[in-house]
Amino acid sequence: MKKTTKLFAGLGVVLLAASVFVAADHIDAPGITGNSADIADFFAFEPETGSNNTVFVVDMQSNVLPELAYGTFAEDVLTEINIDLDGDLIEDLVIQAIPRDGRMYFFGPMSPTQTGLSGEVLVDAPLGDVAISDATATIETTDAGVSLFAGPRQDPFFFDFFQFQAVINPDVESAPGGFLPPDEAADTFDGANTMSIVVEIPNTLLGTPSATNALGLTVYNTWVTTNRKQ
Amino acid sequence: MKFNNSKYILLALSMLIGLSACNNDDDAMTSDDMMMSDDVIVMEPDFSGTYAQVDFMGRPGINTVLNADGAVKDAYNMAIPSEMVATFQAGFEARLEQYHDVYAMKLGLDPADVNYENNILGLDAATLTTVLAADVLQVAPDLPTTYFDPGTDFDNDGRILVPDGDEVALTGRLLTDDIIDVSLILLFGGMEGDRFSGQDLDNDGVSDLPRLTSDGVGLTANILTVFPYVSTPE
Repeated sequence: MKKTTKLFAGLGVVLLAASVFVAADHIDAPGITGNSADIADFFAFEPETGSNNTVFVVDMQSNVLPELAYGTFAEDVLTEINIDLDGDLIEDLVIQAIPRDGRMYFFGPMSPTQTGLSGEVLVDAPLGDVAISDATATIETTDAGVSLFAGPRQDPFFFDFFQFQAVINPDVESAPGGFLPPDEAADTFDGANTMSIVVEIPNTLLGTPSATNALGLTVYNTWVTTNRKQ
Repeated sequence: MKFNNSKYILLALSMLIGLSACNNDDDAMTSDDMMMSDDVIVMEPDFSGTYAQVDFMGRPGINTVLNADGAVKDAYNMAIPSEMVATFQAGFEARLEQYHDVYAMKLGLDPADVNYENNILGLDAATLTTVLAADVLQVAPDLPTTYFDPGTDFDNDGRILVPDGDEVALTGRLLTDDIIDVSLILLFGGMEGDRFSGQDLDNDGVSDLPRLTSDGVGLTANILTVFPYVSTPE
């Protein structure tokens, strides 16, 4: 296997200019990079097999690169989890989160006042609120069985991002062998933290979807946006 | 303003009279904090105004990997899913082919000879990029979550990654799912999922094909089994 190593010698130190764009959505575009509204990542899952709840995790910002914004939620940024039930890719419900004075306030799930690129806080549909945590997690669970969290957490994303940059570099000398074998690859996000917003919600509050995925399985179509006060 | 503030007044009152034991920060609560909580009563949170979209995310990695330049990436973050296929699919498909051209040149081959091949889901380039451009994270309410689980080789055809009826896929995204490797397999893996996986074709100990179907890393962060699932910051 030593000869294999040779293939990767010469790649050596890799680039990393200022204009890096990091997956999954970390710092994905110049207009949002290093910004308090930058979505780092989005997860949606069943918390355990057979559960009737769905968990949404939205990661905002990340200190994976030292110059990035990290550490506080901005009060002029509304985070919105969008849910399409019928498969037309237009949100039927939204769950909103916005911070005020050290607490994260949640609204919905409810039909938005308007779909698309702008909207308002659904003040008539408060879901609950929770103190924004420090290193120790503070959790609230509402009477409706909704669990809420907001605060700094480990960034769970993993990716050898630096090698990815080398792989897609058109220079023929850059990473001709592609990605590295496991004993040489490194998770760029190891040790990074992010600002997480987590909602665990009973499916009964979301309704029954009719949308299906590519395998014909019934699903919620979901996406997250950040929205800045105008 | 229509905001029903009774809930927050109740909360503030409960804090004022010391019923905040459900918070985990009791130890840090000081008399100054209690004075601060007075403010909550008189300062009703103001949520007024219009909020306009500045960032977007559905499936992981789509904007990063499949949009070619900064201007398009910025436009993508200002888009809505129902319009994304019409706006971005053609660019995704061109970008996918461009990645293959990059590796053709690195291998000393004619870019015209190294092209995307239908993947493990049997999708051609146009169909795959159409699926990906409808950029939403799908999560099933009644099925185990997995971004893609190849299952087992149910029909014993030796093609473990190829759907054979027992796989579950596209039912959400776990904190532990290796979405980069899945994405790489779908983009570069071909029908068997291993088209470019560092093969040593002539057994001389040196890889002859690039390793494009795995980035070689797994989860390093701690994950909790209970809410909030993401772990204490480092």
